[in-house]
Amino acid sequence: MSISHIHIGVDTGGTFTDLIVWDGKRYRPIKVRSTPDDPARAILEGIGDLTPREVVHGSTVATNALLEGKGARTAFVTTEGFEDILRIGRQNRPELYNFSAAARPQLVPAELTFGAPERMLYDGTVEKELTAADAETLARRIRDAGVESVAVCLLHSYANHAHERLLGEKLNGLFVSLSHRILPEYREYERASTTLVNAYVSPLMDRYLRRLDAELGTARLRVFQSNGGSIAAHSAGRNAVHTVLSGPAGGVLGAAAVARAAGYDKIISFDMGGTSTDVSLYDGAFTYTTETKIGDFPVRVPMLDIHTVGAGGGSVAYLDAAGALRVGPRSAGARPGPVCYGDGEEITVTDANLLLGRIDPEKFLGGRMKLDLDRTRRYMAKFAEAVGVSPEDLAEAIVQVANSSMERAIRAISVERGHDPRDFALLAFGGAGPQHACELAERLEMKTVIVPHHAGVLSAVGMLAADCVRDFSQSALGRELDDVFRELEQRAATEFAEEGLPAANFERQVDLRYEGQSFEITVPYEDRERFHEAHRKLYGYAHPERAVEAVTARVKAVAPLEKIDLGAVSDAETFTSVYVPPGWKSRQDAARNWILTTG
Amino acid sequence: MTETKLNLELEVFRNLFVSIAEEMGIVLRRTAFSANIKERLDFSCAVYDRRAETIAMGDHMPVHLGAMPYSVAEALRSHRLEPGDVVILNDPFRGGTHLPDITSVSAVFLGKDPEPAYFLATRAHHADVGGMSPGSMPLAREIYQEGLRIPPVKLFRRGEIQEEILEIILANVRTPDERRGDLAAQMASHSVGERRLIEATQKYGQERIAEQMEALKDYAERMMRARIRDIPDGEYAFEDFLDDDGFGSGRVRIHCRLAIKGDEAVVDYSESAGRQRGGVNANLAITVAATMYCFRCLIEDDVPYNAGLMRPIRVITRPGSVLDAQPPASVAAGNVETSQRITDTLLGALHGALPDKIPAASAGTMNNLSLGGTDPVTDKAFAYYETIAGGMGARPTADGMSAVQNHMTNSLNTPIEALEHLYPLRLRRYAVRQGSGGGGKYLGGDGVIREFEFLTDTDFALLSDRRETRPYGLKGGEAGAAGRNILNGEELPAKGHFSARKGDRLRIETPGGGGFGK
Repeated sequence: MSISHIHIGVDTGGTFTDLIVWDGKRYRPIKVRSTPDDPARAILEGIGDLTPREVVHGSTVATNALLEGKGARTAFVTTEGFEDILRIGRQNRPELYNFSAAARPQLVPAELTFGAPERMLYDGTVEKELTAADAETLARRIRDAGVESVAVCLLHSYANHAHERLLGEKLNGLFVSLSHRILPEYREYERASTTLVNAYVSPLMDRYLRRLDAELGTARLRVFQSNGGSIAAHSAGRNAVHTVLSGPAGGVLGAAAVARAAGYDKIISFDMGGTSTDVSLYDGAFTYTTETKIGDFPVRVPMLDIHTVGAGGGSVAYLDAAGALRVGPRSAGARPGPVCYGDGEEITVTDANLLLGRIDPEKFLGGRMKLDLDRTRRYMAKFAEAVGVSPEDLAEAIVQVANSSMERAIRAISVERGHDPRDFALLAFGGAGPQHACELAERLEMKTVIVPHHAGVLSAVGMLAADCVRDFSQSALGRELDDVFRELEQRAATEFAEEGLPAANFERQVDLRYEGQSFEITVPYEDRERFHEAHRKLYGYAHPERAVEAVTARVKAVAPLEKIDLGAVSDAETFTSVYVPPGWKSRQDAARNWILTTG
Repeated sequence: MTETKLNLELEVFRNLFVSIAEEMGIVLRRTAFSANIKERLDFSCAVYDRRAETIAMGDHMPVHLGAMPYSVAEALRSHRLEPGDVVILNDPFRGGTHLPDITSVSAVFLGKDPEPAYFLATRAHHADVGGMSPGSMPLAREIYQEGLRIPPVKLFRRGEIQEEILEIILANVRTPDERRGDLAAQMASHSVGERRLIEATQKYGQERIAEQMEALKDYAERMMRARIRDIPDGEYAFEDFLDDDGFGSGRVRIHCRLAIKGDEAVVDYSESAGRQRGGVNANLAITVAATMYCFRCLIEDDVPYNAGLMRPIRVITRPGSVLDAQPPASVAAGNVETSQRITDTLLGALHGALPDKIPAASAGTMNNLSLGGTDPVTDKAFAYYETIAGGMGARPTADGMSAVQNHMTNSLNTPIEALEHLYPLRLRRYAVRQGSGGGGKYLGGDGVIREFEFLTDTDFALLSDRRETRPYGLKGGEAGAAGRNILNGEELPAKGHFSARKGDRLRIETPGGGGFGK
C-alpha cells in the first residue's frame, strides 16, 4: 500500500488562496483566486488531483463571521443580576472626541440573554447554589428560544466551575461554550466576550470544516491557530475562537522558520499587504499576548503577539484641511485599487513606490497584473502641482509617512516590551513589505533585512513549519501552584491522547505580579525567581522587597509534527520587487532568500 | 509658516511624539498598584516643548489633558529643574485640580545644555490622599478637610528620592503602600519618556525637532481656526445648573456667553455663581480643560491635541467664582462634577450656533463613590474610589449610547471579579437602567444601576449630581431621568458622607441622556 507523503499548507486570503505543497523532498507554491462565498472551492481547486496525507489550513471563516456579524443565533447566560455585563463592557466610550461615534455592536440581543439564579464567590465558595431544577428550567427556556449555540459565563467560575458544568450538561445537544473551559481567568467582561465569540463563530466553522474534511477524503485536516500551532479540525470546530488570527500567525511561523534556516534567530517579521500591516517579534522564542481585540470584541486567549496597523500598499494619500500630508487609514482596496491598477482615482502608497521605481510594473504579483505607470505619473503630477513640490518629492514623502506608522508599530512590539530593535533582523514579506523594509530598518537602526524566497506565500509555508500546540490555563489565585499545574497537564494529556497525537511536551509558565498590581508578567515556571529582573527589563525598575503572587498557571502542550525543510529545493521561480536603497548590499543565500545588509 | 505650505513630515513627527506619550502611559498603567490606575485607567501622560506648551498626549482623560499644562507652568514657576529632578504637586491653587490627582513634572536636558529642551508630565488619580473620608473625595467646606495638599516640591533631586518628602506623604494617607507603588509607577514613566525624547533628538537633531513641534501646534491652530470660521458669527448664551453644593445651597448656576467672530471664539463664564461652600468649585485649569474638550469635539478630523488648539479661543472667568476657585475653597467635585456641567453649558450655547451638530445633554455627573474602612480579612485599611457611567445624550442623527462614560471622563469600571477579590464588597446588581434615557426622535442613552453590599462597616462619600436637575433634551426631545442614590431602600442626597453597617446595600442609579427631536 502506498502512503502519500504530501503535506499541504493552505492560507485563505481575501484575494488569493496560497498553497505550499511539500512531498518530503521538495516544495512548491500554488496560488489560486479565493472564492469568498465558499473558501473550500479555491482550496480544492489548488489541491487538484494531489492526494495529500495532511492539510494544514489557515482559515478566515471565524474572523469573517465575527466581523461581518454572520455567526450563529446565540444565547448568553450569566449570573442573575448581571445580564448586561456584555452591553456595559468596561463602561468606556469608543472614541474620546467624536459625538457621532457608533455604539459597540452586540452579538446577542437582550431577549437571548439569560440570568442563572446562582452566585459563586472569588474564593470558590458557593453563596447561592444553582439547583438542578433551576438549571433544567433555564435550559428549557434557552432551547425554546431556538438558538443553535450558547455561551455560559458565570461570575467567579474560574474559581469554581460547578454551576457552569451543570448548565453545560442540561444544555447537552446544543453548541455549548463554557467560560471556565474557554478562558479560566478572572475579569468577567473579557472572559464573557471571549466565550461569546467562541459560541458565535464555532457552529459556522464546524460546518465548514466538516464539509472540507469530507471533500478531502483520506487527508487529515488540521487547522492553524492564533497561537502558532495547529489542531485537528474537529477540535477547531468547537474552539474556533482560537483561530481568529490563523493566517497572520502562519506568517509569523513562516518568518521564524525561514530566518532560522538562514541562520538568524532574532527577527521582527513585517508583513505589509494591501490594507494593513502585521508586525511581530521572534527572539528564538515566540512572543504571546492575551490582550487581543478582534474588531470591537476582546478575545483573551493566548495568541502570537501580532501588532496590526491600518496602513498598506492600498492606503490613500491625501492633503488634509490644514495642509498636512496624511496616509490612510482609508484604503483603495482591491477595487478600485491604486491609480496604477487602472480605475482608482486616488494616489496610494503603491503608486508612490511605482513612481519611485521600487516596483517593476511588468512583474507585479509575480506578473499576474500589469501596472499602468503612465497613469500614476499623470495623477501624481496633478497632486504634486497642487501642493507645489515635485512628484518625486511627494512620492518620497508618502512613503515616509507610511513608514512612520510602521515604525510606531515595530516600537510597540519591541521597545515597549523591553527589546532593542537593533538586535534584530527585519524579515519582510507580503505584497508591499520588501519595498519598505530597508528604509524602515534604517529608521530603527536595524542592520539586516531578509526577504524570503517565497515572500508571497509565507503564511502557507508557516502552516507546515509548526507543531501541534494547545494552551491551557487556570487561575491560580489562592491555590497551590503544583496542584494547578498537575490538573492542567492531566487535561492536556487526555485531550492529546483523544486526538491520537504523540505525547506532548509541557511548558509550564506562570503569570506573576507584585501583590497589589494587576498586570502580570508571564515567566517560565522554572525561571520564576527572575520575575524581578523581567519587571526591571520591561518597566525600568523592580521592588525585590515586595511580595510576589501567582495569578494564572499556564501549560503550553506541544506535540511535534513533521515539518517542511526550508533548506530543500523549491521548484518554482518567484518574483518580488525589493527596494535596495544606497548604502545597502544585497546577496542571495543558498535557499534563495535575499539578505540585505548595511554598515 | 504660511497657511498653505505643505509640511511633508508633520505626520511623521506627530506619530513620534504621540507614541512617546503613549509609551509613558503603558508603563504607568502596568506598574501601578491601585485599581484606580491599573484597572480604571484614571491617569494621563503628556510631552511639552521647551516653552512648556503641550505637544502630545496619549488618548487618556479629557479633564486631565487640558488642565495639565497649568501643572507644568506652576512647577517651573516654583523651581529650577535640573537633570534627574521630578516635581510633584496636587495643590489646586498651584497647578493641580483636586487633591487625589497627583501630577509629576520633569525636564529633559540635552548634553551639557543647562536649559531644558522638553518637559514631561504624568497625572494619576490616587485612591487616597488623606483628609476627612476614605478615598479623599469628601464633601468638605474647606480644602484643608479634603486631604494632604502638596505644593510643587521635588520628590527627586538629581535622581535621588527625597525620603523626607515621601515620608510626609505616606504618613498622611490611608494606604501608604499603594501610594508608594503608584508614585514609583509615575516616576518609571518619566524615565521612559526621557529616554525616547533623547533618542529622537539624537536621530533628527534638536533644531528639526523644535521646528516640527512648532509646526504641529500651528497645524492644530489652523484646524481649529478653520472649524470656528464655519460657525456662524454671533453671540450665543446658555445656562445650566448643578443640583447643589451639598450644604443646602440650592441650584448652582453655570452660565456661558459664547461670542464667535471670524476664526476666533470668546467664552465668557463670568455670570456663573460665586464660590460655594461645598467642593463644587472648579479652578481655571478645569474650566479651560472643559472648554478645550468641547471645541476639540467640533473637529471631526483626527487633529493632534496640543497647545495650538486653544490659541483661537479665549476663556473669561470671574476670579473667586465657582469656575475660578481661589483658596481656601473646597474643590473635590470641581474636577469631576462641575467640569461636566461646564461642558453641558458650553455645548448648549454651541447648539444655538450649530443646531444640527450638538448632542443633547449626557448624564452630566461622574457619580463619584469613595469608600473605606478596615478589611476584616487582612485587618488593614482599605480605600476605594470609582466613577459610574451614565446615558449619553441623543445625537442629531442617532440615539445616545447607554451605559458609557461621558465627556470629561472615560475611565473604565473595575471588574466585579477584581473588586470582590480586592475589597470587602459584593456586587448585587450591575445593569443598564432601562427607560432612563429621554424620549424623542432619537432616544437618550440609558444610565446604569450598580448595587453594592458592604461586607464590613464602611464609611462612604458620594459626590454626584443630576439627582434633581435633569440632562436636557434638544429640539423637543425629553430630558433624561435624574439619578438616585439609595441605601437600604432610603434615598440619600446627591452629595454627602455616610456610614454603612455590614450587610447594608447601596444602590446607585445614574441619569439617562437627553433625547433629540420630537
